[in-house]
Parts: sequence; structure tokens; C-alpha cells
Amino acid sequence: MSEPGLRINDLRASVAGNDILKGINLTVEPGKVHALMGPNGSGKSTLAFSLSGHPAYVVTGGTATLDGENLLGLLPDKRAKAGLFLSFQYPAAIPGVKVANFLYAARQAVRPGDLTPAKFRALLVEKMELLDMDPTFLGRYLNDGFSGGEKKRLEMLQLAVLAPRYAILDETDSGLDVDALRAVGESVRAMRESGEGRATGFLIITHYPRILHHVKPDAVHVMVGGRIVKQGGADLAELIERDGYDKIREEIEAVA
Amino acid sequence: MPSSLAAPVLGIAPENAEALVQRFETSPLLRAARSEALAAYFALASGRAPAGRYWKIDLDALDLSRVEVRAEAAPPRIAATLSRGAIACDLPTAQRVHPQLLERALGTAVSARTRKFASLATAFGNTGAFVYVPAGVSVDDPIEIAYAAGETALFPHTIVLAEADARCTVICTLEGGTEGSFVCGIDEIVTGERASVSFASVQTLALGARSIFTRAARPGKDAHLAWAIAELGADLCASAVEIEIEQTGADAQIAAIFCPSGDQHVDLVTTVDHKVGQARSETIVRSAATGRGQARYLGNISIAAHAQGSDASLRDDALLLSKKAHVDSVPALEIAANDVKAYHGATVGALDEEQIFYMTSRGIERDEAERMIVLGFFEPVIDRFPTRELRERIRAALQAKAG
Repeated sequence: MSEPGLRINDLRASVAGNDILKGINLTVEPGKVHALMGPNGSGKSTLAFSLSGHPAYVVTGGTATLDGENLLGLLPDKRAKAGLFLSFQYPAAIPGVKVANFLYAARQAVRPGDLTPAKFRALLVEKMELLDMDPTFLGRYLNDGFSGGEKKRLEMLQLAVLAPRYAILDETDSGLDVDALRAVGESVRAMRESGEGRATGFLIITHYPRILHHVKPDAVHVMVGGRIVKQGGADLAELIERDGYDKIREEIEAVA
Repeated sequence: MPSSLAAPVLGIAPENAEALVQRFETSPLLRAARSEALAAYFALASGRAPAGRYWKIDLDALDLSRVEVRAEAAPPRIAATLSRGAIACDLPTAQRVHPQLLERALGTAVSARTRKFASLATAFGNTGAFVYVPAGVSVDDPIEIAYAAGETALFPHTIVLAEADARCTVICTLEGGTEGSFVCGIDEIVTGERASVSFASVQTLALGARSIFTRAARPGKDAHLAWAIAELGADLCASAVEIEIEQTGADAQIAAIFCPSGDQHVDLVTTVDHKVGQARSETIVRSAATGRGQARYLGNISIAAHAQGSDASLRDDALLLSKKAHVDSVPALEIAANDVKAYHGATVGALDEEQIFYMTSRGIERDEAERMIVLGFFEPVIDRFPTRELRERIRAALQAKAG
């Protein structure tokens, strides 16, 4: 195995013929939290979908490796098995598929045979308590008729149950009230303190810095127009909170 | 002994009519009734479109030259826990022991004079079952009627008569059979006031078999009737179910699933006829076609001019899972009254790529994700089947087909 980390090098991608990512360089190390911030339309979600292998997102150049394994040639399920997880901004509803069955199928897929159904059940109950989720969730159909907050909680539950090596949280904070936001923050923190999740690297994609009050990032990257234009520590998020993105845009324009 | 080594089969054809009917009752009256029904079969049209670009079977020109007609067929296996005068028995027993009760229901919901395949089933009727639930009696455990197809043709007739305030659940299964098995049957349900009948028809015949059913129900005033149908086996399956609402307050439901795979052809017609108002009906159909599977569905709702206050809904959703599969879905609403609630909706489409991506992004392989989504798609209809065991059987059969 070569160098560990989710390593993105000069990644370029297009959607429906439009070039969106114009050479992204970013490395998420095991156990670290990186925040990817940027205004709407800057390409943050495109990066998330390109890494996960969404068929509509075409990678046109560059590389992405997960602990040395090349992600880009793999089908989405193989990327998940390699240890990548994407928390969706808008998770699909799948009527007729029960949450419990889905979670079990997913856990079995990424970690075959490591838990008996009874132990899996116990794990679920533990993680759901942490997320303050009602057990009736398990009998409901996947995201079907879920509120926005319920969907995000279910994404966090999946994160906890699958314990991936690298997790991309795409706008997990958007549309959440304060309590739900705190629950998301708690779950990420709990995950980082758990045995399975200690080494998980996070890429938290967000428009607003408020989730970063709950999960302190080790590094912050700012993306504008398909490029990472600024990098820094947690203080960069505070700067954005105070000044918005305009100041950064002005800086770029001044350079250009 | 394989039939091919015995005497040549006397196929179902006009020139053989006399000889075939001779095989049945010695009573001239009964024999005349069979002859009349057989003549009606030859004379009537199915009402269904002939073969076309996708659908390959003409129901008005079925090749029945190798269908072996016998007067005797195996009786169904009947399992029931009955008390307080409730009856569940095979048809010959009913004819012998309960002729008056049988008379009140037999042929009252399905007319053999107007329906082509009901005529054929009547002409050669050779097996059947009768369920009777007296007034006010509730049969708690499901009554199970299991037909098994064999080498000779099966012409089953299942009749349910539920009196006022009676309740029962009937599970009628049709399985077995081999290449060339032919089944043509009738199911009839007649209820009194406030009765509640749940009837499930589950067909899992072997590939190569053909199954054609005419089904009809007449719910009484304020009666509840739920008919759940799963057509999962056979190469050709043609099923028509009709509910006639002639009494106010009736609440009728039809739920149907089918999933043609391989070269299977499934033809389903549902009809709810609101002849009086202040009654409710709901039809829900879910289907998926894969391989070279072909499906046709016609969903009729008619509301007569004076049937004010009717509430009818029809929902039909189909999934196309392969390029060579085809689904033809036609909702047909004929509403002559002006103070009614009528809803219909139909969709035909492929699997949703966003759903597949969501599941595969969790590590689930695409094939497995598709299977889970397809099975999930059927769940709202599977839910309408009366017992957990039956629902599991249907899921297993669907899983085998979708996989």
C-alpha cells in the first residue's frame, strides 16, 4: 500500500458536457477532519459524486486514490467496499425497502459476515440511541415520507453503522434545525471516539460554517468555480462566517 | 403413463365437442348444459386484442388440440378450521350434501353464457371447491384451497357464499403442472349484508403451463370484499376479475401483482362496475416485466348514471426491467354519474438510477440493489395478501423471478 489517505490529485470532471471540476488537489488523512466550503454552484457536490462514482459525473482527468487504491475505475459499490462513504444531500427514497433490511444488506456488503443478525441489531440500537432516533425508524421504508431532518439522521446512522475509512458529508447540515445539527455533530464526534471510527477521515462539505462549531476541522478548503482557491485552518471558517465568500472572490479577482 | 403413448388426445375443437361432452354426466340435462357452454366457448370472442408486435398469443385462437379433457380431476386439498355450520368442501361433496346452498351462488357471479373462458370452464368443469359461512359466523383461520395441475386439464370452479355478517379469509392456490398443462377455471364470491370476505388467488404453475381464469364477486350491502391476486407462474396466464357493486355501502378492493419473466405472457383485466352509488372500490396493480416477458393490463371502472356518491380509485404501476420486456397498460374509466369521486393513475417506467446509485454507494452490488428495489416496489400489493406465510411465499417467488 502506498501512502494512506483519500488523495485527490488534479481531478477534473464534467456533468452533461459542462466542465465543473477544474483540477482539484486535496488529501484527507486518516482520522482527520477536512472542511470543504464554497458558495452554491462552486462544484462541491460534483466532487462528492465524482468520487463516489455517480454515473452522470464524468471524470475527465486526474486521479483519486483511497489508501493507495485507485477509486476512479471502480463501480460505486466497489468504492464503498474500499471504504468510501457519501452522506447524500438529497438521499433517494426507496419505497418498500425497510431501513433495517437496507442497513443490514449494506453492512454485510462492506464488512461481510462480521456481525451476526443479533449483534447487528444491538449495534443498531446503540447507534440509534446516540442519534436520538425512534426504533420505529427501522420498520419504515427507506427515506419514504421522511422529513429533511429524518433523512439526515438516517444518513448519520448509516455512517455510524458502516464505519467507513473515509466519509464525505455533503451538506449534511443544510435544512437542519439547531437540535438536528447538534445530533449530527454529536454523531460525528461519537464516531471519532469509537473503536471502528477512530481512523475515519472526514470531508465535510458545507456552505455555512455552523456545523464546524460542532465538529472542529483540522483544515479548511475553499472552493470557487471548480477550483480550490484558499486553504487554511479552522480560523478560515471563522473568516468566512464573518465576511462571507465575497471577500475571497475579490481576492481571486484581484489576482486574476 | 405419458399421454403421448396412449390413444391420441381428442383435442378441444368443434368437431370433437360431442365426444368430449360424452365423457361427462350420463344425465341428458346436465350433458346438454355442458354442450351449450362449449358451443358458447366456440362462438364467443375473448374481447382481448390478437397477437401483435410484442404480445404473441391470440386468446381467440388458442391451440387446444393437445389439451386432454377428463371428467375426473384431482380434488383440491382443503385445509380449514370450521365451526358453527361453516362449510369448506370439494364440489362433488357440495353438490351431493348442500345442493340448495350451492345453487344460490353457483353461476350467479359469472355468466358462462357471456364470457368465453367461463364457458369453457363450465363445459368441462371437473373439480372445484365450495365455501359457505352462515350468517354471523366468523371463520378466524384462513381457509386454504390448493389446486395442483397435472397432465390432464384442470377445470376448477371455486365458490364462496358468505351470509350476512359472516367473515372469512380464503387462500386459493394453483401450483404444479408441467409443459402443456392447461387450467381454465372460475372463482365466484357472493356475500350477504355486512359480510367480510378476503380472497387470495396465488398462481405458481410450472413454466410451459397455461392458466385462464374468470373471477367475479358480488358483495352485499355494506359488505367488505378484498381480492388479492398474484399471477406468478405459467407461460400464459389470462385472468379477468370483475366486481359488480349492486348494493350500497359495499367496499371492494382488488390488488394484483404479476411479473412476467422469460417468455411469460400475462393478461389481466380488472373490472369494477358501480351499478349503485354510495359504495367504494379500490384497484391497485403492480407489475414488472423482465426477460422477454409480456404483460397486458386493462383496468375498467364504470360508474352508472344513478350511482351517485361512488368512490372509485384505480392505481396501476409497472416496471420495465429489460429491453425485450413489454407492458401494455390501459386504464378505462366510464363515468356517467356527476357526483362521484374517481381517481386513476398509471405509470410505466424503468428502475430509477438515483435509487440504484444510492444503494450501490453503500456497497450493495447493482444486481442486488435492483432486486431489492423491485421487491420493494411490489410491497404495497404484497401487503394486501392475508397471511405472513403467504406474503413470504410471494416474495420468494418474485425474488426468484427478478434475480
